[in-house]
Amino acid sequence: MRTVERKIGAAILELEHISLAFGGVKALTDISFDVREHEIRAIIGPNGAGKSSMLNVINGVYHPQQGTITYRGTERRDMDPHRTAAQGIARTFQNIALFKGMSVLDNIMTGRNLKMHATFIEQAIWIGRARREEIENRRKVEEVIDFLEIQHIRKTPVGRLPYGLQKRVELARALAAEPSMLLLDEPMAGMNVEEKQDMCRFVLDVNEQYGTTIVLIEHDMGVVMDISDRVVVLDYGRKIGDGNPDEVRNNQAVIDAYLGVAH
Amino acid sequence: MLYREAGQFKVSYAADQQIFSIRQDRFAVLALVAIAFLVVPVVGNQYWLSAILIPFLIFSLAALGLNILTGYAGQLSLGTAAFMAVGAFASYNFMLRIPGMPVLLAFIGGGTVAALVGILFGLPSLRIRGFYLVVATLAAQFFILWFLTKVGWITNYSSSGVITAQQIVILGYAFTTPTAKYLLVLSIVTVMALAAKNMARGNVGRSWMAVRDMDVAAEVIGIRLMRAKLLAFAVSSFYCGVAGALFAYAYLGTVEPEAFNLDLSFRILFMVIIGGVGTVLGSFLGAAFVTLLPVLLSVTVRYLDSNLDLHIAESTISNLELMVFGGLIIFFLIVEPHGLARLWQIAKEKLRLWPFPH
Amino acid sequence: MSFFFEVLIGGLLSGVMYSLVALGFVLIYKASGVFNFAQGAMVFFAALTYVGLLEKGLPALLALPATLAVMVALALIIERIVLRPLVNQPQITLFMATIGLTFFIEGLAQMVWGANVRGLELGLQDEPIQWVTETSGMNVSKFDLVAAGVAAILVTLLALFFSRTRIGRALRAVADDHQAALAVGIPLQQIWAIVWGVAGAVALVAGLLWGARNGVQYALTFVALKALPVLILGGFDSIPGAIVGGLIVGASEKLAEVYLGPFVGGGIEGWFSYVLALLFLLVRPEGLFGEKRIDRV
Repeated sequence: MRTVERKIGAAILELEHISLAFGGVKALTDISFDVREHEIRAIIGPNGAGKSSMLNVINGVYHPQQGTITYRGTERRDMDPHRTAAQGIARTFQNIALFKGMSVLDNIMTGRNLKMHATFIEQAIWIGRARREEIENRRKVEEVIDFLEIQHIRKTPVGRLPYGLQKRVELARALAAEPSMLLLDEPMAGMNVEEKQDMCRFVLDVNEQYGTTIVLIEHDMGVVMDISDRVVVLDYGRKIGDGNPDEVRNNQAVIDAYLGVAH
Repeated sequence: MLYREAGQFKVSYAADQQIFSIRQDRFAVLALVAIAFLVVPVVGNQYWLSAILIPFLIFSLAALGLNILTGYAGQLSLGTAAFMAVGAFASYNFMLRIPGMPVLLAFIGGGTVAALVGILFGLPSLRIRGFYLVVATLAAQFFILWFLTKVGWITNYSSSGVITAQQIVILGYAFTTPTAKYLLVLSIVTVMALAAKNMARGNVGRSWMAVRDMDVAAEVIGIRLMRAKLLAFAVSSFYCGVAGALFAYAYLGTVEPEAFNLDLSFRILFMVIIGGVGTVLGSFLGAAFVTLLPVLLSVTVRYLDSNLDLHIAESTISNLELMVFGGLIIFFLIVEPHGLARLWQIAKEKLRLWPFPH
Repeated sequence: MSFFFEVLIGGLLSGVMYSLVALGFVLIYKASGVFNFAQGAMVFFAALTYVGLLEKGLPALLALPATLAVMVALALIIERIVLRPLVNQPQITLFMATIGLTFFIEGLAQMVWGANVRGLELGLQDEPIQWVTETSGMNVSKFDLVAAGVAAILVTLLALFFSRTRIGRALRAVADDHQAALAVGIPLQQIWAIVWGVAGAVALVAGLLWGARNGVQYALTFVALKALPVLILGGFDSIPGAIVGGLIVGASEKLAEVYLGPFVGGGIEGWFSYVLALLFLLVRPEGLFGEKRIDRV
């Protein structure tokens, strides 16, 4: 357990009785949990448990059939991606969703798009606000680039980067938006030990330096138990456990789900 | 002067964000523009100016328009020619019906009408993707041409829908000679290309490319898909519309809706594919290639014909042209999907290191 | 009222002809995910080759298999030269490649056989069937009816081919998932070659019927453009969809031309099916019989 002093605040995101189905397939059934400000909240569960669907519900890519989502005091039936982004929720994807035809720098710059207000005509003429914004936001982006230590690949097309670096660029793009909540979908999947350590360090640094609330899906139990404050466990689209890492570790339902159980 | 960037340190973000951040590139481009404005009008003859250079510039503009939509925003369109037609016929009506209408304003008006029509036919792109969208743009192609032919008011009730473009007069000066028309077209194209490049390197361009590359991720970042796509349709159609107006006013003079048929749409698509999808430079390279190739082909075939006495028919040349274009499209898609612009870039990268191999 | 039915039946039967062309698209799309814009050019090429061979003095019985052989050869060449290097490219790239292919085939066909319009005699008259006219007062073309019959036979054969043969099963597997099909040892390239060959044969049938009806000429390539809305309505990967879509497009555009045309100055056949398809797309983007896709992220 980490013993860093952080002020974990009140719940800022509450999901209540969320149910989601695709046609006849139930992806999520009656799931409720909350996320508190500044905490690192992990979502774990076996493959197909509905973890990614859960993130998609939070940032409005999927619209649940039932349930309500309360974010910072506003209760909604569902979210939509644009509004979610405007409210300061950023995310990364399980299968890297970078813009393949663009350089690292441009990818990260897209993360700043909500902070840029020049119209397309101003941009076409490239004067005044358009020019100023481009430079101001570039400065912010360079801070993120420094923070994640990817200065050397700034101008490289993202398609040419190795997997681990692509994941890092995706994190950079999300951070560029200066989010207050960050959703990370398996940020360490497919990485070797060193890359995982780096990524863990970045996640913890983000959480500490910027106070960003983090919701994280991860398969590596060691990582999850080490860095998260609370863990919610899903299995077959249902919630089977919720609590701090120690509680979850000793929860019989969770053990059964992971180790299998004799019927 | 060797092509080297050593010693050119960028000390500000503004310097790093320049269109041509390498000094030699900047000089080369400025020199090229200067030649185009100052030397070409002096040395170019009538034929070259009015049969090659003017159409080349106009096609470059249209290709640029399509490239904004297809290359940057990833929305494939087969209706380019129809949007050009809208621009041409709208400009004609602005000139015809508003006394004392400045011609440049009429071009802008034509482009704007094309942009509005573009938005209308771009609406389906919010629900459908990929080549399903081709259907929407084909619908535009067929419907618009039919509409222009059927509604007599648009063509001022001329027989068979042929219109004769009014003379271009700006501040009392009549642009009648090929040289004058060339300079006018060149100025408009230069300004619009610069504007396109600015959009492409700015936030708008990044939003378009984001939508093209991964629309869900773009949405999650806060890019409004609807706005980005419709803006791409609008800007693209504006460029095509102005190109269409120039096509009528500075190139053909008299024009009928049928001149903007599906074949022209394909031709412009070819320019984009051959030149380079998603680059401003590629639009020009592609337009040059597609404009010059038939000329080159026909000259070569005629030369062979007269020397070897082959009796090659005129139709053979046009069929050969079809085959060469078709073959080139396939060739480029397989070998260099990023077109001539990418080949140019590779050449420059090699040159930067020359004479060292790495 | 009988006039209405006459228009309707005429439309349905000409819709069958659209279906025939659309069928070639569906076959290729199902197996390789390629939207083959060149199908219309293949129809043109087939018809022109057949007529050309007849002109060279070949008897019809020899010209038919010879043309079939040419079409299959063409398909094999396309597979080898165009498709194989483009495996795993985005659909839109493949689509653009087939546009290039269209130009190439059109140029080639006219280079080899010349560009003049030719008649094609199949021994079928495009005239009303007498007893139908006598009993119901409606004009139903004999030619259209035969064409519909041919289409029905073709569809049945293809359906059997898909469901009953080993190749058919492999083909469906390939359509489902290229990688998985490769993994279980289905020779992908061979399957593609077969499918393009079959599509070539379908193009031949369509080319003969269309050629006999409208003359063998460049305009045949526009038939492909008509097939596009058919596919939108029916769904790109459904054989019954191609048939139903063809019928809908055929019937609706004829009815529109007759009942709507006079009010707007006529000539709406050229775009009506597109606008219909477009409106349809907005309501049901996956087509009548297509499968709904779920975005996974």
